Amino acid sequence: MLELTGLRRTFGDLVALDDVSFAVTEGHIVGFVGPNGAGKTTAMRIALGVLTPDAGHVRWRGVPVDAQIRRSFGYMPEERGLYPKMRVLEQLTYLARLHGVAPTDARRRAQETIEVLGVAARAKDRVEALSLGNQQRVQLASALVHEPDLLVLDEPFSGLDPVGVDVLSGVLRRQATNHGVPVVFSSHQLDLVERICDSVVLIDDGRIVADGTIGELRARRERRLFLVDVLGEADGWHATIPGVELVDTTDDGLVFELGEDVDEQRLLDLARTSGDVVRFGPVHPSLAELFREVVGHE
Amino acid sequence: MSDQHSPVPRPTDRGAWRLVAARDFRVRLRDKGFVISTGITLVVLSLFILARAFTDDTRPSFDLGLTGNDAAAIEQRADQVRAAAERRGVEVNSRGFDDERVAEAALRDGGFDAVLTKDGVLLGLTSVPPVLTQVVADAAVRGRLTAALEAGGATMGEIEALLGQPSIEVRTLEPQDPNRDENARIAFIAVLLAYGQLFGYGVWVATGVIEEKASRVVEILLSAIRPRQLLAGKIAGIGLLGIVQLVAVAAFAIGLASVTGALELPATAVGITFVVLAWFVMGFAFYAGLFAVSGSLVSRMEELQNVLVPVNLVIIVSFLMSLEALQDPDAPVPVIASLLPFSSALAMPVRIAMGSATAPQIALSIALLIAGTAALIPLSARLYAGAVLKTGTRVKLRVAWRSASAVGLEG
Repeated sequence: MLELTGLRRTFGDLVALDDVSFAVTEGHIVGFVGPNGAGKTTAMRIALGVLTPDAGHVRWRGVPVDAQIRRSFGYMPEERGLYPKMRVLEQLTYLARLHGVAPTDARRRAQETIEVLGVAARAKDRVEALSLGNQQRVQLASALVHEPDLLVLDEPFSGLDPVGVDVLSGVLRRQATNHGVPVVFSSHQLDLVERICDSVVLIDDGRIVADGTIGELRARRERRLFLVDVLGEADGWHATIPGVELVDTTDDGLVFELGEDVDEQRLLDLARTSGDVVRFGPVHPSLAELFREVVGHE
Repeated sequence: MSDQHSPVPRPTDRGAWRLVAARDFRVRLRDKGFVISTGITLVVLSLFILARAFTDDTRPSFDLGLTGNDAAAIEQRADQVRAAAERRGVEVNSRGFDDERVAEAALRDGGFDAVLTKDGVLLGLTSVPPVLTQVVADAAVRGRLTAALEAGGATMGEIEALLGQPSIEVRTLEPQDPNRDENARIAFIAVLLAYGQLFGYGVWVATGVIEEKASRVVEILLSAIRPRQLLAGKIAGIGLLGIVQLVAVAAFAIGLASVTGALELPATAVGITFVVLAWFVMGFAFYAGLFAVSGSLVSRMEELQNVLVPVNLVIIVSFLMSLEALQDPDAPVPVIASLLPFSSALAMPVRIAMGSATAPQIALSIALLIAGTAALIPLSARLYAGAVLKTGTRVKLRVAWRSASAVGLEG
């Protein structure tokens, strides 16, 4: 388990991280989301030791992280970086070696990794000769080539085509499920995060504002929204129940917010007397909606 | 990503710098710039050596004036010298003078390589070709032995005493002119090579650092290894390439010079090569950290020249002081330059080659250079660690120093 505890980091007057704590457990994929400049990259750089916190700790399996431990981590920085003139396979073999992979295994691991990520055909090409998408895949390969014990990926999906997204999702899932590797990645593609992450850490303005599974985040919401679609309804049919408020009109029907003490069955009964109910049910907000709501700037 | 997660052994990271060194060595060995610069060095040296081989002041034949009042004695000494010359595979043509001043005038006119006075002093204009000196010395020793034996034999002790006598005194009419002195010539090439090597490979360290910063790969590298290992590996790899190139170029040059006869004393050149090499290794160790720090302050190749100005300046001044040593290796400036750590790598080999450095000076020079390097390494390592991850605008030294304590990265 990777634990970040009480991280604080300032850059001059700017407080980039303010008492940031969260954990990534074995076999879990954690989505790290938040607006631009919220502190995601700073927190990840601290986890990887390329930046030191002003206060707080990073622990791996209960032990403070040192250079030796960090060597077993897989990292994809926000600023992508590879030797532009080095050939793909050679470069990945070298990086595997730097991470402590034995000479006999390094080349094999590099070859396997590019095969999984679909860039094996470019093994002998210089990195600078690849398309941006393929460079991105090689970058991912560099985080995976040494069979890391932990994966920390800063915006790994940005710049990938849909096939690349599927490949990477599969790779992350296998890493977590089959190998028990804790995975944390940041992304602005919230539908993606929702689809593949086991839990989400939401950061805003240097503070953690939400942390849990998506279900937990939803449950924590105070608003109760219901979608009702009634055929042949008369306008204002719902107005007779106190504590029910129309908040949205969509193509699929009307969205009501119900007060805490309002029984949704009453709303259904009323709807049925107004016409044929074709849809009725709670509205699960998407992660994007939760995000907007929690972060609160829109 | 095989689904079989074979546990990867995690050895200690002790050897990480060696991996870095091996990469830097290999990448640069294949670099076009390296191949071209090596080629240019070889071509220039070849031209220099061939030019010398085809100008005739290295001919294996010398003109020697002999002074004395007794024609028979002169004739006898001439025979001895000729015999000694033959044993060394050179030719010495001699002519007798009864007036020493006439002989000196002939020497000044350039008609002779040297004059051997009747008192056994070997007189040159500005220098005496080393081979000729040896020939005359051989002849003198043989003459003394012959005389002793002819006078009724000598005991082993007497013979050894004769052999032990200072063989010959060499004097010049005018102060030594380095252009005419083979050692100075070799020293000149040596200091040029050392300067080029120190400078070229230092810049390579700086560009290597900027390359990693500009391409942002440094963040990946430093998530795997420590800044100190990256720095040490880079310096070791590039320095090793510098050594290999220096040895290769020197071997080529000495080989070519020996074959074409441009060198009278290849052994001296080999010795000087080793001296240059030793001081290059020490000097490079001293300077490489400074080059690396300079490089780590900026993120773009275009800014390299600006940031290298201070280091460049120091090396250029050292180079100029070393050139002084070619004129007069015992003048205060070259002597001081050969002792100070920042200039000794260039100045000391020259003074050694010119035969003017004393053993205590050499020892002091080495001690100061090693002490200076030992003091600089932790300083450079800290500044480098503090600056190398800060991309964007030029990093101030003060900021690098301070953030290094924060980045720490456990050295």
